[in-house]
Amino acid sequence: MHRVKTTVVGSYPKIPDPPAPGRWRSSVEKLQRGEITREDLHRVEDEVTADVLREQAEAGVDLVTDGQIRWDDGFTYFARGLAGFTINGLQRYFDTNVYYRQPVATGEVAWRAPITVDDYRFAVAHSARSVKPVVTGPFTLAVLSKDEFYGTLDQFVMSLAAALNKELKALAAAGAAVIQVDEPGLLARRDQWPLFRRASEALWDGVTATRALYTYFGHLEGLYPAMLELPVDVIGIDFVAAPRNWEILRKARFTKALGAGVLDARNTRLESPDDVAERARKAAEIAPAGTLAIGPSAGLEFLPRRVARRKLEALVAGVRLANGGAA
Amino acid sequence: MTPTATPTAVATLLPTTTVGSFPKPPYLLEARRKAARKQMDAAELRALERKATEEWIRRQEELDIDILVDGEMYRGDMVAFFADQMDGFEIAGLVRSYGNRYYPKPAVVRPVGRRGPLTVDWFRFAQDLTPRPVKGMLTGPYTIAEWSFNEYYPSRRELVMELARAIHDEAADLERAGARYIQIDEPAIHTRPDEDFELAVEAMEVVTRGLRAYTVTHICYGDVPKIYPAMLRLAVNQIDLALKNDDFALLETFKSPRFTKDIGLGVLDAHSHRAETPEEIVEGIRRTLDVIPVKQVYVSPDCGLKTRTTEETVAKLAAMVEGTRRVRKELSA
Repeated sequence: MHRVKTTVVGSYPKIPDPPAPGRWRSSVEKLQRGEITREDLHRVEDEVTADVLREQAEAGVDLVTDGQIRWDDGFTYFARGLAGFTINGLQRYFDTNVYYRQPVATGEVAWRAPITVDDYRFAVAHSARSVKPVVTGPFTLAVLSKDEFYGTLDQFVMSLAAALNKELKALAAAGAAVIQVDEPGLLARRDQWPLFRRASEALWDGVTATRALYTYFGHLEGLYPAMLELPVDVIGIDFVAAPRNWEILRKARFTKALGAGVLDARNTRLESPDDVAERARKAAEIAPAGTLAIGPSAGLEFLPRRVARRKLEALVAGVRLANGGAA
Repeated sequence: MTPTATPTAVATLLPTTTVGSFPKPPYLLEARRKAARKQMDAAELRALERKATEEWIRRQEELDIDILVDGEMYRGDMVAFFADQMDGFEIAGLVRSYGNRYYPKPAVVRPVGRRGPLTVDWFRFAQDLTPRPVKGMLTGPYTIAEWSFNEYYPSRRELVMELARAIHDEAADLERAGARYIQIDEPAIHTRPDEDFELAVEAMEVVTRGLRAYTVTHICYGDVPKIYPAMLRLAVNQIDLALKNDDFALLETFKSPRFTKDIGLGVLDAHSHRAETPEEIVEGIRRTLDVIPVKQVYVSPDCGLKTRTTEETVAKLAAMVEGTRRVRKELSA
C-alpha cells in the first residue's frame, strides 16, 4: 500500500538556540577577523550540515536536503559558481525580512564546474535518509539579479537555463535520484509564463532524474493548469501563503506528483499533528498517496532552530496519522 | 486627518537632524556584554548608558545640529526594544537576516499593549540636557508587526491596528513630556506595497491622530518608487528618506507628482566608511532644491549611524552641517 511521504523544501537554521554556542556564526566572525582559514569554516559547515541531516532523520522526514548551510542565500551561491556574475549590495528577498546580495550579470553566463555536487555527495554520505539536491532555477535567478550584459530578460533566462542544465546533469551523474529546482520568482512575474516554459525545456533537457519544480510564497492563478505541461515530475506548491491554491488546483486534474507545503515555514505558531493530518488528507484528494509528499511551505530558515525542529516533528506525526498509524 | 501645518518648525532654513541611532562607545558595548552575562547590574549599565547619551548630546551641540536625538544608547534591536517592554510578546529566538547577521525575532502570543511609557524617561533625560529640541523616537506599528511572528491575531491587519493604538499612546505621552518632534520609523512599510499600503496609511493615522508635535516617518531599505505617490498620504509632516546611497536617484521620482510633504533628505550614506565632503552635501541639496521647495527640506543622514564608528559619524555629520551652512549662505545672499 502506498503511503504519504514527508519532505522539506530546503533551508534549515544554521545556528542552535541560545545559550548553545552558534559555532557557524562565531566561525564566520573569526574568518572575518583573520583568525581562521576558509578551510576551517568549511569544516564547521560540514559539521553543522551533518547535525542538520541527523536532526531531520531523527524527526523522521523521508526525503531531506542538506539544509543549505553553506549558502548565504540561494542566489550568490550559484552566481559565484557560474562565470559572468559579480555581486552587488543587499536586496530584500520578496516580502520577507531576509536579504540577499544581488548578483549582476556583467558577461556571458556559463557553467564552469559543478557547484553543488560535492555538497550533494557529502550529504548522501552523512544522511540516514534519501537526499535531494536543490538548485535555484534560472528564471528566479534572473529575476532577482541585475542584468548589465544581455539586455533582455529572455536572453538572460535562456542563458542561465543552458548553464544550469549542466549542473543538473552533473547532479544526476553523481547519483541524485530526485533533483529539486526552486522557482518562487515565477509567482512574482507570472506575466513571463511563456519564457518560463521555454526555459524549463532547456533546463531539464536530458536530465535523467526525477524532476521536481518547487514554487512558494504565492498562488498559481493564471499558471494552473498550464503548469501541468512543464517537463517536470513533481510540483511543489505553497498552501500556507496562498490557501486559495486548494481551489485553483480543482480547475483541472493534477497529473504530477505533489509536494504540498502545508506547515507554515514563516510563523512560529505550531501546527498540531491533527492539523497536519487533515491537510495531508486534503492534499491526497489532489494527488494520491504514492505521488504525494507533505512538507513545510518553504525553507525553514525563517524560524529559530527549536521551532524548525518542532515543525518537522509535527509534520511527521501528522502524516503518520493520515497514513492510518498512531501519532 | 493629515497634518498640513509645520507646528513647531525651527526658525532656520534647511534644519539639520539625524535619523536616531549613533554608535555605542566601546565602554558601553563591553558593559552590555557583561550585563547580558549577568556580570553587571542594571543600575551600573544604566549609568553608563546615561554617560554615553550625554556625550552624544554634547557632540550634536558642538556639531551645531538643530534637532537632536538621544542616540539610542540603551536600545539593541529596534523592534525587540519595544516588544521586550510590551504585553503580548515573547522572544522566539534568533533569526538570520543576511550573512551572519541574526536578530532576536519576537513572537506575538497574546493581545499586545503597553504596560506603561516605553521611551518617555529616556526622552526626558536627553531633553533635560539641552535647550535644543530632542526628537522622540518610536518604531512604527507596521514594522513591529512585520518583523515579529504573529501567533495570536487572525490577521496582520488586527495586529497592526492594535499596535498602532499602543504607539499612539506612547507618542501622546512623549508629547506631554515636551516632545516637539516625534519620529515613527517604518523601514518595513513597503514590504507588500500592493497588498498592504492602505493598512500602513490607516495605522499611521491612528498613531499621529490629535498630536500637535511635528511628526516624521523614516522609511528605508526598499523600493520607494513603488509606494510613490501613495506615501504622501501618510499622516505625518515629514518623510525621511535615504537619497545619498543611490546618488539622489529618487529625485526623478519626486518630480511628478510633486513631493507635498516635508522631506528628511538623507545626504550621508550610513553604510560607507568614508566621510562625505561638504561639497557633496552642497551638490545634493542643490539638486534637491530643483525638485522640492527649500521650506520643505530638512537635512539628515540616510539612516541611523549605529554601524559606523564614532569618528566616522562625527566626520560625516560635520560635513553635513558645513555643507548645509554653505547652501543657507547662498540662499540668503
